[in-house]
Amino acid sequence: MQMMTIRDALNAAMFDLMAAHDTMVVMGEDIVGGTSPDGADELGGPFGVTRGLAAKFGRERVIDTPISEAAFLGMATGAAMTGLKPVVEIMFCDFLGVCFDQLMNQTAKLRFLSAGRVKLPLVIRTTMGAGDGSGATHSQSLHGLAASIPGLIVAAPATAADAAGLLKSACASDAPVMLFEHKGLYGLEGAVMDGLPAVKLGEGRVALPGRDITIVATSAMLHQALVASDQLADAGIKAEVIDPRTIQPLDSGLILESLKKTGHLLVVDEGAAFAGFADAVLSFVAREGFGALKAAPKALTPLHTPVPYGRAAEAAWLPNADNIVTAARAMLAG
Amino acid sequence: MDDTELIDFFEKAHFIRAFEERVAVAADAGAVPGLVHLNSGAELAELAVISLLECGCDQVTGSHRSHGLALACGVDPVALASEILGRHGGLSDGLGGTQHLMAPDTGFLTSNGIVGGQVPLAAGAALSAKTLKTGGIAVTFMGDGAANQGAVMETLNLAAALNLPLLFVVINNGFGQSTSAAAVTGGSLIGRARAFGLAADQVDGTDPAAMFKAADRMVGWVRKTGSPAFIEAKVSRLVGHYHGDKEPYRVGGERQDPLVRLRDMLVKKEIEEAVLDTVVAAARARAEEAVASAEAAGDQSDHALRAWQAAGGA
Repeated sequence: MQMMTIRDALNAAMFDLMAAHDTMVVMGEDIVGGTSPDGADELGGPFGVTRGLAAKFGRERVIDTPISEAAFLGMATGAAMTGLKPVVEIMFCDFLGVCFDQLMNQTAKLRFLSAGRVKLPLVIRTTMGAGDGSGATHSQSLHGLAASIPGLIVAAPATAADAAGLLKSACASDAPVMLFEHKGLYGLEGAVMDGLPAVKLGEGRVALPGRDITIVATSAMLHQALVASDQLADAGIKAEVIDPRTIQPLDSGLILESLKKTGHLLVVDEGAAFAGFADAVLSFVAREGFGALKAAPKALTPLHTPVPYGRAAEAAWLPNADNIVTAARAMLAG
Repeated sequence: MDDTELIDFFEKAHFIRAFEERVAVAADAGAVPGLVHLNSGAELAELAVISLLECGCDQVTGSHRSHGLALACGVDPVALASEILGRHGGLSDGLGGTQHLMAPDTGFLTSNGIVGGQVPLAAGAALSAKTLKTGGIAVTFMGDGAANQGAVMETLNLAAALNLPLLFVVINNGFGQSTSAAAVTGGSLIGRARAFGLAADQVDGTDPAAMFKAADRMVGWVRKTGSPAFIEAKVSRLVGHYHGDKEPYRVGGERQDPLVRLRDMLVKKEIEEAVLDTVVAAARARAEEAVASAEAAGDQSDHALRAWQAAGGA
């Protein structure tokens, strides 16, 4: 057991995986990003997750691509169908817009169209999240959008152990997996087990046990929910915080189990205010957990506008711990 | 090619033509769930390239108009016809259909319902061949319409930048659906390929001798150098965009039938007409048998769907 940042945990997991799988290749924009033969100046992507891989495993397996997301995501998809195990990085999930055909119509559908004859062991790593002044086209959280496309497994880790562990499971999957990594969390430290063990896709985690209200919170919102839970505890409210970790397939059993205990549900997500992940959770709880609800469930999401740039506007746009405390207290008071 | 090989080629081309004509009959009878896009007119150009590939290591991707490509690659005609008809025994038991044909074990990786969507996928097959050192190459077939897709131009660049063993083949039939290619295309397609640094050739895809030569040069180039190349084969689309298209947008214009020119070539080589007639009749009979067999198969695609879900597929 040791403390590690999400960035370092992902980086270490990448080294483990490339050493274990000769067929694994990594590709994306600036993922090497340097020129020295020993790799000392490797950029390793804008967040450093792939740093050092080229020096260790060579540029045949660690490939800087042109800024052509459609071509290289398609290439990675075709490579996954023909014997390689590609991990492709889309620098910001906002850039999925330029390769959405390949993602939606090729990557997601080809296993189905082959009736399962073709394996597609492809991992798409991308970033998400607002809060750093990157504006409307570098800050979105599109995990819910991706999860709405049949054929894609979608995960959004919030801790170092989960980031490394989900990456390992993603690499072992025969179906394409997308990992949404929050830009604001890369430097966050957390405890990791030796060997960075795999974390099963489709399994959520109780991040904090409680009895009064279930707070389902993803990615950076998990940490806001944990801060809020401390404040709620001061007021005598014990929140149970659940990190789904995998968006699709969702660990609905874990949420329903918690709800039976608490009778109250608050979902906090940085994705879309309309038809996003939060709505998907509320919808399934309305269908399958209605009897357990003692009050109307609620979602806290950003506003239904593009991500604004100015500091005050961006802060007003994002849900935070105070909003969570207010919403939880109002629900329990009602 | 010697005479025996030429006659074999002639048989395959006629089999593809007959297969497409028989699929059209099935469609007219209501036996096909959706619209089919027939490749009549492109047989020679496609077969000329495919006949140079090696089963087992080379991979091909194609467009929505890929029945002929799949047959050229050696896909089982009954399984192909059954997939087109959405029947049991189809390549994917009817889950994919006419535009989504997949038979990677034969080298036919996939066709595609999105114009140009198959092109980046072929770059992936080329990357696998290069990285795994299989000695194989990838070939992607597309129409002139796909040449105006961004993903295709990105892939021309990517293939050059990464030096991939990838052959791009544009079957230029002069129309993107119902729009004249000339009306929506800037510059020339071969000029684009050359601008990205690819070895490129332009050829009359209905002229057997010229097409064989171009295919041989460019497949040989990719295999020998491991670098990408490009062929623009000009053909006539002998049928509508889809079967049933009355082509009101198409007034006059010459339609060159490559099979007629191929026959002329064989006759000039003093192969007897009677021999050729026998070959054509046999090809037609084989096509009839394949499509009739598919027609007789049941539609169990709902079972295939449930099996996919039961296996945990999404």
